[in-house]
Amino acid sequence: MDARVVEELRAILGHSGVLAERARRVTYESDGLAFARHVPELVILPRDTRETAAAMRILHTHGIPIVPRGAGTGLSGGATPVAGGVVIGTARMRDVLEIDAENRCARVQAGVVNVDLTHAAAEHGLFYAPDPSSQKACTIGGNVGENSGGPHCFRYGSTTRHVLGLVIVLPDGEVLDLSRPAVDAQGYDLVGLFVGSEGLFGIATEITVALLPVPPVTVTMLALFRDLDAACDAVSDLIAARLEPSAIEILDELTIEAVESSVLAAGYPKGVKAVMLVEAEGSEAEVAATVDAIEPLLVARGAFDVRRARDEAERARLWAGRKGAYGAMGRVAPDLYVCDAVVPRTKLRELVRQTIAICHARGLRIANVFHAGDGNLHPNIPYDRRNAEELRRVLEAGDEILKACIAAGGSLTGEHGVGLEKIGAMEWMFTGPDLDAQCRVRDAWDPLRRMNPGKLLPVHACRETRTRDPRGGTR
Amino acid sequence: MDPRDPQQLVDYVGSLDCIHCGLCLNTCPTYRLTGVESSSPRGRIHMMRALAEGAIEADADYADELDFCLLCRNCETVCPSGVQFGHLMEHARGALEPRRDRTAFQRLGRRVGFDLLLRDRGALRFVAVVGRAAQRAGLVGLAARIAGPAGHGLRDAPSIPPASERTRLPVFTPALGARRGAVALLEGCVMPELLGATNRATVRVLAACGFDVHVSRQHVCCGSLHAHNGEPAGARALAVETIAAFDALVDEAGAPLPLVVNSAGCGSHLKELAHAVPGEPDHERRAQALSRRTLDLCEFLARGAGAEGLAALIANVRARDTVRVTWDDPCHLLHGQRIRREPRDILRRVPGVELVEMEAAESCCGSAGIYSLLRPDDATRILDPKLEALRATGASVLVTANPGCQLQWAAGIRRAGVGVRVLHVAEVIDEFVLSAASRPGA
Repeated sequence: MDARVVEELRAILGHSGVLAERARRVTYESDGLAFARHVPELVILPRDTRETAAAMRILHTHGIPIVPRGAGTGLSGGATPVAGGVVIGTARMRDVLEIDAENRCARVQAGVVNVDLTHAAAEHGLFYAPDPSSQKACTIGGNVGENSGGPHCFRYGSTTRHVLGLVIVLPDGEVLDLSRPAVDAQGYDLVGLFVGSEGLFGIATEITVALLPVPPVTVTMLALFRDLDAACDAVSDLIAARLEPSAIEILDELTIEAVESSVLAAGYPKGVKAVMLVEAEGSEAEVAATVDAIEPLLVARGAFDVRRARDEAERARLWAGRKGAYGAMGRVAPDLYVCDAVVPRTKLRELVRQTIAICHARGLRIANVFHAGDGNLHPNIPYDRRNAEELRRVLEAGDEILKACIAAGGSLTGEHGVGLEKIGAMEWMFTGPDLDAQCRVRDAWDPLRRMNPGKLLPVHACRETRTRDPRGGTR
Repeated sequence: MDPRDPQQLVDYVGSLDCIHCGLCLNTCPTYRLTGVESSSPRGRIHMMRALAEGAIEADADYADELDFCLLCRNCETVCPSGVQFGHLMEHARGALEPRRDRTAFQRLGRRVGFDLLLRDRGALRFVAVVGRAAQRAGLVGLAARIAGPAGHGLRDAPSIPPASERTRLPVFTPALGARRGAVALLEGCVMPELLGATNRATVRVLAACGFDVHVSRQHVCCGSLHAHNGEPAGARALAVETIAAFDALVDEAGAPLPLVVNSAGCGSHLKELAHAVPGEPDHERRAQALSRRTLDLCEFLARGAGAEGLAALIANVRARDTVRVTWDDPCHLLHGQRIRREPRDILRRVPGVELVEMEAAESCCGSAGIYSLLRPDDATRILDPKLEALRATGASVLVTANPGCQLQWAAGIRRAGVGVRVLHVAEVIDEFVLSAASRPGA
């Protein structure tokens, strides 16, 4: 990186806000998609909107690509600087700026950790609903970028349903304040457009989110199955029966083993083929009715034991085990490829079977742990990235799984985003004109395409739009 | 071992246990302070792996990130993948040390500290005498000014107590009242010079609980500071001495006595002592045996005969008034030894103590062995938010169970002007239970 640029940035961000040393930069070479690595030329850590805007103006002047990064817990390579340039991390923007309990919303800096917001809201009897498994580490800004989900999004919807306003720094350093109350919004819903844009439009520095009242009663159930198929069928039944629990999760045998040998041991019995976690929230009567309706459905599909968490501590343990499943898989292999695809919930059994068959046919192990209620599959494939041949088989299996899900009427991603990982798969899902249209939206925000280059939209698709006359024909 | 092979610089196989999930980030004091990935456990492991794979050099920046780590091991408590971060860090520091760019003065300081002072009671005593004289003559402030920024550690260094306080423990102290057994007690290297009062309180408590207390005359240091600070050879030599010293303290039947430790850092090291003697099967076996009979004082007083002894003591005591007390977990007790409940249970049972939980009690105070001397400014930045948390509890006594933490808190409290006393668990029992029942055997 040009020494003058570094100097200019240091003048704004201070010495500790600019990481130029290779030993430090190398730790930003990847997120959770471990095999894709690229060391950024520079990492900067602004402390607020003003610093972010000033830094981005400088980068704009010099035409330098920008990659936004939250906590680097993403699984699609969204924060990996594949085209070089500067990583802008939000880890020093960690203030909860305001909790407006009366209006049930909070204004936070982008780097606030998801669980810290939930803790801050809890003092007011409120909570922030999207709860990705990485919520103890991931940031609200990163959640906005990826439109993150989590177990409870079954009932509450993913991040986009909860974002009321944004302060965005555009690629040229201009600040766009979209933090008006949602009811006041006029014209296009730019906030809605920005959520899930994977860092291609700019960087959100301040986020206003909706907070929900903590439900008076929460019951967490643990159902044990001798057979993964049966657990999947039970979920399809729950959905068809129009029951409204707040979360439905399934963990398979290999996942249970990994979790139970870790510090997060939740008390899932070993040796069962699948456990299902079901949570019901609401008034006492509502929860009792839901639970009473769910239990016989599970038993009818072969649950041989249905337990309820006895207290808050047990409930927390059951969830900690589920949410630490990804990390616990580190006991199985050095790296883990977490697929993310969505299927119609009537086809869970069939698709889960296919994921297993696809992996086994390639000599790969697979652990299924997923947001069953949303039909959001997460086939987890353990591997060692130093083994190039194994990695090739893993990626091939991932592709096959995605194709099977798309063929079944599903989609490419439930919550992890497209990023780097699925950029090629975009063409299985979308036609040329679809992709052209998406590229034109991008160009409206970032005409120079300096924001997070190489992500989300296939490059050659974008090249085609560039040479095409927007009115039709060719330039 | 080829020192040019970068794979030898780190525990490469151990580093592969990290799957990059990031659940450690938010618990890491240095990451929370800076927001810098390379100052987090995940980032530090990433660097180790990158070094082994030839992607980076073992340069000053790498060394600085290793040094910046407090080795508090909070990350281990939350790691679903079971990464042995403390071990990875000790290994990386030890392997890097011979290749480091240190000034002659720094090298001399390390040799004096690690090879001379911590291995010789006479030398420790000499430093205490000179240090106290210098502190009383106001020379320390002067030396600190001359040393510039590096002198902050000197200025904040603990005040050395008078000679009357700096006495060794008796080799044998008999049980008082009904005898329940016998234990060995680790006297510690700097404890007699800086915190003799804590040691004496520990002996009084153990004796009053019905235990004969044996102290090794010749043992000086367990080597934990060596292991944490990149001195594996010193750690190895001291581990061997420690094994010999405590294998020699036996009961009537000739079986080695359980070893009670009132310093969490030493206890944590002693429980993993086999790490210090790798590739020596006989020493490894004896180290493991010693580890199995090592107990932190809190553990000892919360279980079995120790708990019975304490309960019998407490039964005789009526509290006159209530003092609000808060507990700060020493990292090497909570994260190193996974002891969370025991000290809280003990404090709740002490008559006259009202225990209130402190926000962030589970995170490091910045003492971290000799970290507060080596990186005083960082240590202060780590402690500052905890001082606020202490204020918020309204407690008048802060209790902990590790000498470094006691000294770090005392210095921070002095600086911030908070009127809170710092006591070791043993001192709480000594004051609220033994003194209340007219102190026996003092």
